[in-house]
Amino acid sequence: MTRLHQFAFFDEGSKKEIRRTILKAISIPGYQVPFSSREMPIARGWGTGGLQVTLAIIGQEDVLKVIDQGSDESVNAVNIKKLVEKTTGVTITEKTAEATIIQSRHRIPEQTLTEGQVLVLQVPAPEPLRSVEKSERQTKILHAEEEYSGAWLQLFEQIMKYGQTNTGADHPVYVAGRYVMAPSPIPRFDNHKMNHSEALILLGAGREKKIYAVPPYTDVRSLAFEDYPFTVESFATEACHLCGATDTYLDEIIDADKDKVYYQCNDSHHCLERVNGVIEGKGDISYA
Amino acid sequence: MPLDYVHDTQAVFRKVMDCMAQPGKTNSLAKQMCQIDFPIDCYHSTFLTMMTLLDSEATFHIKGNHTSLVQRIAQLTLAKHVEESEADFIIITADLPQASLIDAIQSAKKGSLIDPQLSATIIIETSELSSGQEWLLSGPGIKKEKRVKLAYSQRINQAREEKNKEFPLGIDLVITDQVGKVICLPRTTVISEVSK
Ligand SMILES: [Zn+2]
Repeated sequence: MTRLHQFAFFDEGSKKEIRRTILKAISIPGYQVPFSSREMPIARGWGTGGLQVTLAIIGQEDVLKVIDQGSDESVNAVNIKKLVEKTTGVTITEKTAEATIIQSRHRIPEQTLTEGQVLVLQVPAPEPLRSVEKSERQTKILHAEEEYSGAWLQLFEQIMKYGQTNTGADHPVYVAGRYVMAPSPIPRFDNHKMNHSEALILLGAGREKKIYAVPPYTDVRSLAFEDYPFTVESFATEACHLCGATDTYLDEIIDADKDKVYYQCNDSHHCLERVNGVIEGKGDISYA
Repeated sequence: MPLDYVHDTQAVFRKVMDCMAQPGKTNSLAKQMCQIDFPIDCYHSTFLTMMTLLDSEATFHIKGNHTSLVQRIAQLTLAKHVEESEADFIIITADLPQASLIDAIQSAKKGSLIDPQLSATIIIETSELSSGQEWLLSGPGIKKEKRVKLAYSQRINQAREEKNKEFPLGIDLVITDQVGKVICLPRTTVISEVSK
């Protein structure tokens, strides 16, 4: 088979630059390493940073999974898979455990990742201090000086206003006790999965031209105050209407016809595996 | 089969990336080493690492008297050979004494607080990894702690500690051996002697 393009889309020079950037990102956990982000044949804001990381690391023997907001079948995930498959010929999977590289937007899979796997997260806004400080030069100085009072003040103001930290997704984390990092817009529910993850986590921001990383077995703590501890989205008494899970991140689905609200796992593949009895978790329906 | 610059360097990169993510873990480049079908004046594992990471955008410094090797690498990668204190990658071949490594650690660039990534990676050849004294590693990438045998001395360790004392400033080490084994010691790794 002849391919019209180079393996993994990029020329070797582009791959090398991204690879060197990745190594530095790993050796300075949580620090945003600048790189020369390339134009990609997918729309900006749709994961060009993550895609560039994936293309720079992928080899013929890799097995790739791509998810977008918990789904393997969204248009964005499908477009990314098509591009990678066309330029590399690698095997694509939906099974989290089978994948060697998992590229994701907005979620970390429910199934615990293991040593040797690489999670690539797409990042729209890598700078956790941007809402406090507009200038890139200044935020770099704040990180250099470990001056994070702005980030703390912001959390404090939320507590004053809402009675709790109300960050929604992308709640900032402290990495290895040094850098404050944006975990990408994952729900707070997923933050703990970064702490001492067995898998290497690489984060790529295309528009802002930054790559950063969380090595395996690294402390990742969500920013919180002692008297207002970090809390995750709570689904209280709800369970997935398909698989019965009570320990997963659930989407609220409104059935207008029946005027009813029900809940469903956001990680659709995990849900399917539970329905098929491939994996177990909390909340399994017991027939005993 | 000759070296495949696309797929072999990708495979080498992933091994090195895995080593950098899990300090002290040993990976083998033996499979890619078999593809090198010409003489080269350094370990094949070192050569592969240079081929994988160097290009016209990166600088290197091979310590010691290695004129032909320097020329060869510059020609193959288009990387520029510069002074030790400016190099992105410093290569310490096996023929050099310990003092040269200590010297290189001391003069290598360690980045700035604003740009800690502008720091050197030192590629060190050692005749056989997993031999020598036992050392205790801890830090990011290591589950609790890890013991590795390294031909590494207290003096080298002190020089490295001195260089890396002000995180995020520091240097990262890639150690290669004759049979293709490689381990990495990023600046975050704390290394101590195993008390006997
Ligand atoms: Zn479910």
